[in-house]
Amino acid sequence: MIAAPVLEASGLGRTFGEVVALHDVTFRVPAGQVIGLLGHNGAGKTTTIRLLNGLLAATTGGARTLGHDPWREGPAVRAATGVLTETPSLDDRMSAREAMAFWAELWGVPRAEVRSRVDELLGRFDLAGRADDRIGGYSRGMRQRLALARTLIHDPPVLFLDEPTAALDPIASIGVRDLVRSLAVGRDRTILICTHNLAEAQELCDRVIILRRGRVIADGTPAEVANSASLPTRVELEVDPQHAETGLRIARDASGSSASDLGDGRIGVEGLGRDAVPGLVAELVAAGASVYRVTPAQPTLEDAYVALYGEAES
Amino acid sequence: MNWRAIRAIVLRDLRLVVRAKAVMVPLIIVPVLFFVLFPAVAVIGVRAGGDAIEELRPLLEVLPIEITRTLGPGPLERQILVYLLEYQFATFFLIVPLMVCAVIAADSFAGEKERRTLEALLYSPTSDRELYLAKLLGPWLAAIAVSVLGWLLYAILVNVLAAGDVGRPVAISVLWMLVLGWLGPAVGALAISVLVVVSARVRGFQEAYQLGGVIVLPVVALVVGQLVGAVVLDTRLAVVLGAVVWLIAAAVLLAASRGFRRERLLRQV
Repeated sequence: MIAAPVLEASGLGRTFGEVVALHDVTFRVPAGQVIGLLGHNGAGKTTTIRLLNGLLAATTGGARTLGHDPWREGPAVRAATGVLTETPSLDDRMSAREAMAFWAELWGVPRAEVRSRVDELLGRFDLAGRADDRIGGYSRGMRQRLALARTLIHDPPVLFLDEPTAALDPIASIGVRDLVRSLAVGRDRTILICTHNLAEAQELCDRVIILRRGRVIADGTPAEVANSASLPTRVELEVDPQHAETGLRIARDASGSSASDLGDGRIGVEGLGRDAVPGLVAELVAAGASVYRVTPAQPTLEDAYVALYGEAES
Repeated sequence: MNWRAIRAIVLRDLRLVVRAKAVMVPLIIVPVLFFVLFPAVAVIGVRAGGDAIEELRPLLEVLPIEITRTLGPGPLERQILVYLLEYQFATFFLIVPLMVCAVIAADSFAGEKERRTLEALLYSPTSDRELYLAKLLGPWLAAIAVSVLGWLLYAILVNVLAAGDVGRPVAISVLWMLVLGWLGPAVGALAISVLVVVSARVRGFQEAYQLGGVIVLPVVALVVGQLVGAVVLDTRLAVVLGAVVWLIAAAVLLAASRGFRRERLLRQV
């Protein structure tokens, strides 16, 4: 039996007046998956989160979160999800401890557990030392950690993190990324991350969906998405030095003029299609060159993202 | 109804109010003026007025006979004091729940938008109706609490200050109970309803508070109307006026509830 997906969108669409924010988006996310929703500003990432939490109604298609219709059963859905909003949404006039206790009440954490839960999360997110200070005096990193702690106050099985490291300095970003990574470990928690940071998505996500103007243009593991874009492969070859010139000529013939001599028998080849690599190696061997090494430079998610967006534009 | 969540939001909103100087200053100053300073000045002024008190006689002459009767016999000074403390201050009293509700509702609705704290609340496991109710209850309950405390303070003060002059308890009457438990809460609800509508159209607390301030005009009209003898807030008027204000407030709040939907609120985030 196939387990029901935790998050599901079927032909999901949403318009705001004349603007199409989301169009015919379909995906199923099983329990325990960390999924990245990527795209430019206005691609439909935040709208997707809002639809999956019942803050917005779908114009077309439908969504289900933990088997519930978010629009009709909003409170039940939101009781089981935690959402890190793009801005931390914290009141400067409260202390972290007060804010956490408030959220615990709001999410119905059993009264006997509120204090221990608040203390545990403040400790885990490295805020215990400033727990009774007003949030107004917190740094951006501390605010973000507190907002992240808030999403866990009721230990939800589903988390939505909208730009978790946006506007943070590199050190604070690393800290938040480590926390996000820890959230997925040891619990069958499903996490949907919206981000512009493609390296972050590649590092954290089991699967990514790229949205462009509300439409899905790629869906798969980061490696699958990276390979799905028709990107030119960068390959470095190493042949015996006495055949370097022959090798360079053959490589140039195979790939236009983008092969270069890197010295010591190493040849860099740019713009070679992935499928052309075996043929090039065969030609070199046939010409008498000994091929010691063929190192393809894997396209990154960032390469794929740029290429896919470019393809979609054209 | 998720009463635990509603209670949490109400308590949080009130806690935030207590910590905002811009909100707390009017919440302290206005009740002190209306419940302590003005009554004390009135008692001392009438007592020290001497012959000048005669100039207030026309104020009593235009009153309906049933009101004049309640002022009792005795010197003009006594009648003036009873009238001011029993009737005139009952109209002043209405300004307090109105102002308390307006200030807190402005902070609760427009202030939440200004501080960019609304979105997290929208992701809470509450329904639109529960969120709306929580936002209404906070200012309203605070207004009732301030009104009751203010009335206690007022009643003790005037009965101590003027005991020797009036010879009977004042501000402890059916009229005052109606003002405290019926008309005052209605006026507070009306103020909240206006602020809900105003807050949806402005950017922040100050703007909402200033625009919502127009709600004080009907009460000022009642105060002035009573001062010039055009109208007297007696028990009958308190009952009728309370019912009318409750109806208007309920209608506006019901209409405004249609705008209090997550979809619409998201546009303000």
